Amino acid sequence: MRLRLNPQTLKKLRRFREIKRGYYSFVILMAIIVVSLLGELLINNRALVVSYEGELYFPTYTDFHPGTDFGFTYSYEANYRDLQARFEQEGSDNWVLLPPVPYSPNENHTVTGIFKADPPSLEQKHYLGTDTTSRDILARLFYGTRIALFFSLGFLAAVYAIGISVGSAMGYVGGWFDLLFQRVIEIWSNIPFLYMVIIIFSVIPATFAISTRIAILLAVMVLFSWTSMTYYMRTETYKQKARDYVSAARIIGASDARIIFHHVLPNTLATMVTFMPFTIVSAITAVTALDFLGFGLPPPTPSLGELLKQGTENLRTAPWIVMSAFGTLVVILTLVTFIGEAVRESFDPKKFTVYK
Amino acid sequence: MTDLNLESIHMTKFSGFKLIVLALSALLTACGGESEPAATATAPTTGPSGSEQAQAYYAANPDFFSFKTAADVPTDLVWEDGAELPDIGSPEAKKGGIQYEAMQDYPRTLRHVGPDSNGSFRNWILDNVAVMLAHRHPDEFDYYPGLATSWAISQAAKTVYIKLDPDARWSDGEPVTADDYFFLFFFNRSEHIVAPWYNNWYGTQYTNISKYDDYTISMTMSEAKPDMLTQALEHTPVPEHFYAEFGPDFVDRYQWKFVPTTGAYYIKDEDIVKGRSVTLTRVENWWADDKKFWHNRYNADQVYISVIRDTAKMFEAFKVGDLDMFGLNLAEYWYEKLPDSDPDVQNGYIQKSVFYNQRPRPNYGLWINTDRPLLNNLDVRLGINYATNWDLVIEKYFRGEYQRMNTAFDGFGEFSNSAVLARPFDIDKAQEHFAAAGFTQRGPDGILTNAEGQRLSFTVTSGYESLAPVLTILKEEAAKAGLDFRIEVLDGTAAFKKVQEKQHEIQFTAFGVFLEMYPRFWESYHSDNAYDDAFLEDGSVNPARQIEVQTNNLESFADYEFDQLVDQYTASSDKDDMVQLAHQMIQMHHDHASFVPGFVQSFYRIGHWRWVKFPENFNHKHSDSAGELFVHWFDPVAKEETLAARRSGQTFEPQIKIYDQFAVGL
Repeated sequence: MRLRLNPQTLKKLRRFREIKRGYYSFVILMAIIVVSLLGELLINNRALVVSYEGELYFPTYTDFHPGTDFGFTYSYEANYRDLQARFEQEGSDNWVLLPPVPYSPNENHTVTGIFKADPPSLEQKHYLGTDTTSRDILARLFYGTRIALFFSLGFLAAVYAIGISVGSAMGYVGGWFDLLFQRVIEIWSNIPFLYMVIIIFSVIPATFAISTRIAILLAVMVLFSWTSMTYYMRTETYKQKARDYVSAARIIGASDARIIFHHVLPNTLATMVTFMPFTIVSAITAVTALDFLGFGLPPPTPSLGELLKQGTENLRTAPWIVMSAFGTLVVILTLVTFIGEAVRESFDPKKFTVYK
Repeated sequence: MTDLNLESIHMTKFSGFKLIVLALSALLTACGGESEPAATATAPTTGPSGSEQAQAYYAANPDFFSFKTAADVPTDLVWEDGAELPDIGSPEAKKGGIQYEAMQDYPRTLRHVGPDSNGSFRNWILDNVAVMLAHRHPDEFDYYPGLATSWAISQAAKTVYIKLDPDARWSDGEPVTADDYFFLFFFNRSEHIVAPWYNNWYGTQYTNISKYDDYTISMTMSEAKPDMLTQALEHTPVPEHFYAEFGPDFVDRYQWKFVPTTGAYYIKDEDIVKGRSVTLTRVENWWADDKKFWHNRYNADQVYISVIRDTAKMFEAFKVGDLDMFGLNLAEYWYEKLPDSDPDVQNGYIQKSVFYNQRPRPNYGLWINTDRPLLNNLDVRLGINYATNWDLVIEKYFRGEYQRMNTAFDGFGEFSNSAVLARPFDIDKAQEHFAAAGFTQRGPDGILTNAEGQRLSFTVTSGYESLAPVLTILKEEAAKAGLDFRIEVLDGTAAFKKVQEKQHEIQFTAFGVFLEMYPRFWESYHSDNAYDDAFLEDGSVNPARQIEVQTNNLESFADYEFDQLVDQYTASSDKDDMVQLAHQMIQMHHDHASFVPGFVQSFYRIGHWRWVKFPENFNHKHSDSAGELFVHWFDPVAKEETLAARRSGQTFEPQIKIYDQFAVGL
């Protein structure tokens, strides 16, 4: 099923491009998403390339290499920073190419011999410093942001899928179906969202893998957030359904499915698109808030909320923690909000609006 | 004492029992509601008073409650009164001033027993304030008198005779008499208090209490233990006159009523500001004001305790002078948030003190639930022991200030088995043991797997949010040995619930251990507390046994031979015999490898404003925290002076002091 873009929509897209602030925000955000997909190549304690005894290794995406693979005595994962230092010392032909930030988000790496928050250091390649247990903040920030971003995109997709289906059905079918669902939604939306997430998530056993737990958290959040979208879609569908073109289509003999997907939905696009950025913002905020309260992603998963929490607890002694977490949050949320404003504006049928 | 220290993370004194009490009583309240719906309807205002109920109870149990005459006290007793012990506190202490304190949560009740009564607020109304018959001397370990003037043991009769101090008064002015000790037993054996642990303890550990006259009593124990005095003397009586309306609705009726105290501080009704603050007020002409062991203590006129939910905010409140003292046990606070170079420290406004103490240590470590698959394998457990890098945590996270704990029973003097040492972090040995258990292959992420493809992965649960970094460090290190720890940090209550239901695989926790002579084994290591019916008659494992929930046997530790030793230990009244048994059991527990000993902290340290004064040697040898014994006092002149100096920029000599007179092995 493909939504054919009509000239109206194309015009809207053109107009979106013309709104520079929103357009560039969009480009930057997309760039961030693409870069974050390649994050393992940029921020990782595994080397990009190792040349050892004439053989090339690319450990980034493969199984782990025990230290014995590279002439260490230990059988756990090779420490590639040590390896690089060793090769340099030996002066052999072996070499290691490390990512620009050679730390994983979970490893404790200290130079002072004590696990504590250390300020940013170019020399140590801790560009944003370390957190209270000497983990690289840039790495944690990066992977934390990635999780939050993809989490919110997944959230968006799920909330929209449910919200649009239910909302459109309510508007299109009407009658008792509409009445019933209105009541269901009224009741459902009165359940305090954050509390429910906290309660449900606290009984999820920790035996699940972290990715499963993230999926469950997502499912739970969607379960309590899909309602807001339905009302907008319901009104919008009602409105469109009463329009002459829908009656015309029906007279021609178009099926309900055809009317919904070809006529009604494309005309509600403005509503859908307008709410998108705000849904993303709310998802990022919610997952950050949950982590901040300690009910979100299980440790040691990197997360913005956990960093913020550490930051506020160490405002005076380690301001760099809160600065980086807060800065990232501000940047991401601002970008998304700018995009949202631009989208809203470009979908506004009146080009010049004067508020009185 | 403003709590930011490890001691405050685990529960306080008595928590070994209090833990059980809390969970069981919660359960009972839930059930009780259904079986006794009319309980609250039958308000006992019209029924018999607490005193009348007690009299009826005494009459119904004549073997337990005996009324005798003064002539019945044996004449050959050797009376002790602890008079030779040194004073507590400093003779320089001055009375007066207000102590400003903070607590994280508002207390949920002012009752001493029953649901929710074992929160940390209990310290302010009971554990650190109320006077008992006698107390362990914080330097000498022997007993010094409180409500008793002297006591005598009759080993053969398993009885302790006690003479009460006729001066003793409740905070409402009523005298404390023998009747209040009788009432103590009636009260604690009553089902109305919804406290099964107390019901059990007072129902099984004692066989008799006798009154000879208003100020002479005796208690008879079911076993003549070496520390029989503890059992007899560490009691605070229960005021009979206060519980006139005692009945099935006790829990609700007395929820917010302050129980008259024998101690120096009481709470006025108007000083209970729900959700915000509680103020303790010193009893006027307190009966113990001139007593040898009490006259230098409890010096502040009032203690104002307000709710500050966040430790970071609490610290800020201390920094501006709204709180008098702040615990600096965590290295982060001692070195970074209030470093020696801090202007307030350098200018002498805030003083920093470290005090090394000696007492049994809370047993921080990993408690392995041996009922779980894989964890029932000795080799897996041994592997976990070798794969847990506490040494690194101590060295790098705790900055080398803590020490490795060797057994779960450290700090009990000769009862501790110093020959047993904790297993060090050793990847090779860990892998040897894991291989013996069938885990030979490393998976793509470096975690070991066995032939069936099962990963060597366990959940480590903890309720200590502030110690979560410890677990993340252990996780990273364990991965080197091919062991995966999944970390689950819950809030304190949820974690406690989980471990009480025995749903955990591995739990990072500790039981509070209070100042006593020898360790307890039954609670945590007897099979009675692991399974409903652990062994068949011939000592072999009962295949149909069910796990026993709501007990402190967190390791599901069940060993037939060990049970026999515990029983012998419990029944024994010979100290040498008990020492030998304890050593044997500690060795067996070590061999069983179901506990990974963590760390011990051999000091406490605080920051306090210049106007808070401590004795010359700061505190006493066995003290648990700086505020516990109330030996500090407040100097109002110094307060004015310091605040004025702070405004004008005048400075004093900085005071950063280390009191290591009781440090061991430094």
